[in-house]
Amino acid sequence: MDRFISADEYKRRVMIIDDEEINRLMLGNILETEYEVVFAKDGQEAWDLLHGEEKDISLLLLDLLMPVMNGFELISKLNEDDELKSIPVIVMTSEKEAEVKSIKLGASDFITKPYDMPEVILARCERIIKLSEETTLIHSTEKDAVTGLFTRDYFFEYIRQIEAHHNSSVDALVFNIDHFHLVNEMYGRKTGDSVLVRVANTLEEVLKEKEIISCRTEADTFYVLCEHIDDYTPFIAKIQELLGNASGSSKIRLRAGIYQEAAKDMEVELRFDRAKIACDRIRGDYSRTVAYYNNELYQKSIYHERLIRDVDDAIANEDFKVFFQPKYDITSDTPKLRSAEALIRWQHPELGMISPGDFIPLFESNGLIQKVDNYVWKTAASQIRKWKEKYNYSVAVSVNVSRIDIFDPTLQDKLRTILEENGLDASELMLEITESAYADSANTLTEVAESLRASGFKIEMDDFGSGYSSLNMITTLPIDVLKLDMKFVRNMEKDEKSLKLVELIIDIAKFLDVPVVAEGVETKSQLDTLKDLGCQVIQGYYFSKPVPADEFEQFIEKELK
Amino acid sequence: MLTIEKLNEYGANTKEGLARCMGNETLYLRLVTSLTAQPDFDRMREQIADHDLASAFESAHAMKGVLANLSITPLYEKVCEITELLRSREETDYQPLLEEIDTLRKTLKELVEN
Repeated sequence: MDRFISADEYKRRVMIIDDEEINRLMLGNILETEYEVVFAKDGQEAWDLLHGEEKDISLLLLDLLMPVMNGFELISKLNEDDELKSIPVIVMTSEKEAEVKSIKLGASDFITKPYDMPEVILARCERIIKLSEETTLIHSTEKDAVTGLFTRDYFFEYIRQIEAHHNSSVDALVFNIDHFHLVNEMYGRKTGDSVLVRVANTLEEVLKEKEIISCRTEADTFYVLCEHIDDYTPFIAKIQELLGNASGSSKIRLRAGIYQEAAKDMEVELRFDRAKIACDRIRGDYSRTVAYYNNELYQKSIYHERLIRDVDDAIANEDFKVFFQPKYDITSDTPKLRSAEALIRWQHPELGMISPGDFIPLFESNGLIQKVDNYVWKTAASQIRKWKEKYNYSVAVSVNVSRIDIFDPTLQDKLRTILEENGLDASELMLEITESAYADSANTLTEVAESLRASGFKIEMDDFGSGYSSLNMITTLPIDVLKLDMKFVRNMEKDEKSLKLVELIIDIAKFLDVPVVAEGVETKSQLDTLKDLGCQVIQGYYFSKPVPADEFEQFIEKELK
Repeated sequence: MLTIEKLNEYGANTKEGLARCMGNETLYLRLVTSLTAQPDFDRMREQIADHDLASAFESAHAMKGVLANLSITPLYEKVCEITELLRSREETDYQPLLEEIDTLRKTLKELVEN
């Protein structure tokens, strides 16, 4: 494998454009001592080559008077081309007037004919190339003040220049410090900075044989371009060892995402984006410190992008299907239909049925869940109205309210409008909020829930038992129903601990004076156990899976008989 | 076969021409040899005959550049003269100058061929 060489070492390519072969050969002979030389016999041929195989030209040496396309025409065309306009041009002429005109048009310099001494020509070419490359780089500050590594912009620009001339196989590495914000918060900025320096030094020390260039970006993220390595395991282990040996504030853990041997025609930023996707994937996973970007991950990120892109169409085309699962009151001998939960499915026109598990966490992470929630609220409300009109019977339906909705100041207005449009009472559209949302932002959530309850909405706390509510918090919760996390129901017959927890949660509900809904009930024996323990409401396959609205009607009709 | 000596006798500034070829004598002689087959001379003659002085100027100008680079001084000087006349589109009798240029070309050709 070729060793990568620095920007100062590699041979740049220059193009001589002149219709006179003698001139081309003579100048080519001079320039070949320092550069790889490409020839074109007129402006048109140069233009075609620059748009074809000759993509990495550092300098154009251009004659002015030529057939087909002359030098002035070529300069004008280059000026309008975003990719090519940055290539510096030295005009070759014997005419004083032409010198002025070409400089005004944007030429960097000129060489007079007959040619100056070769040393003069070479010096001019060298100066113009250097000037041009530095101008491109000068837009960004070269070094990060904290670590002394390159800055992100410089890093990418440098790689582009290097790669234009080299074809070695390289890998993109992204490193991120776990919980770096806590270091800053707990020990102060100065300590945080010293941690960054230590990471930079450690990366450099361990990867020095293979590293080509590295930079720091986004506070605690480091990018490294390395010559290809098949297995990074020993390198990563060494890095962790050096960083993990310290104590207190200096003890840190790095995560690495690696994208190996990307095709050179892929933009360099994109390669690092992919390494970062791999790196982000193991955030919070303490069993892993390195992840490789692979096709599966690529497919997954493409799939996610697709879902994000299609969400608006799905709403407009009603590809989201709202299903209803009945909840039965089991306090009397005959179970009685009490309400339903609205659950979403995505019938994608091209991808088929998409599981909520695939898109709900994704949309929760980027806020799109608000659109989906809003759609479910409207659809559910409209369905409640239709059933009321058809059966003169009201089935209360609970809908999910995501954590992000809670922070939406227009939440109450949105819900009110939906109720008004469908002539419903607030008690008919019940709102489910997960326990984890309570635990994350107790104060805001309590305020919002109280305000919703004051307007007549019923609040159900979903997945109770899976979050981390404190006993103190539970006693002050503004809720109307507790929903028992389905994993307790599933496990309560298998292990004593789950059964005890179910008992405890039902006791808490009694203390709060709210009913308990048990989800995920599949068998008669589960139902009996829950009933014995004092659970009032059951939801699950024992009664029915979630079904489309028209299928749900059988439950209403049965109830009415 | 063309040699540096022959070119010196002809009046070329071979020192200068060779310097532009980085001292590469083979290349220099090869380039001078190829000069005898330059189509620009004949093209210019035809263009003048057609009174297309603008095109003739371009041909003359191209030749001038090449001759300057190779430092073929005698021919260069004559081509310079005709280039300047053509630049100002001078309606003059170009024949004497063309003949002088032709003679110098023939001499050069003889140096190459003998």
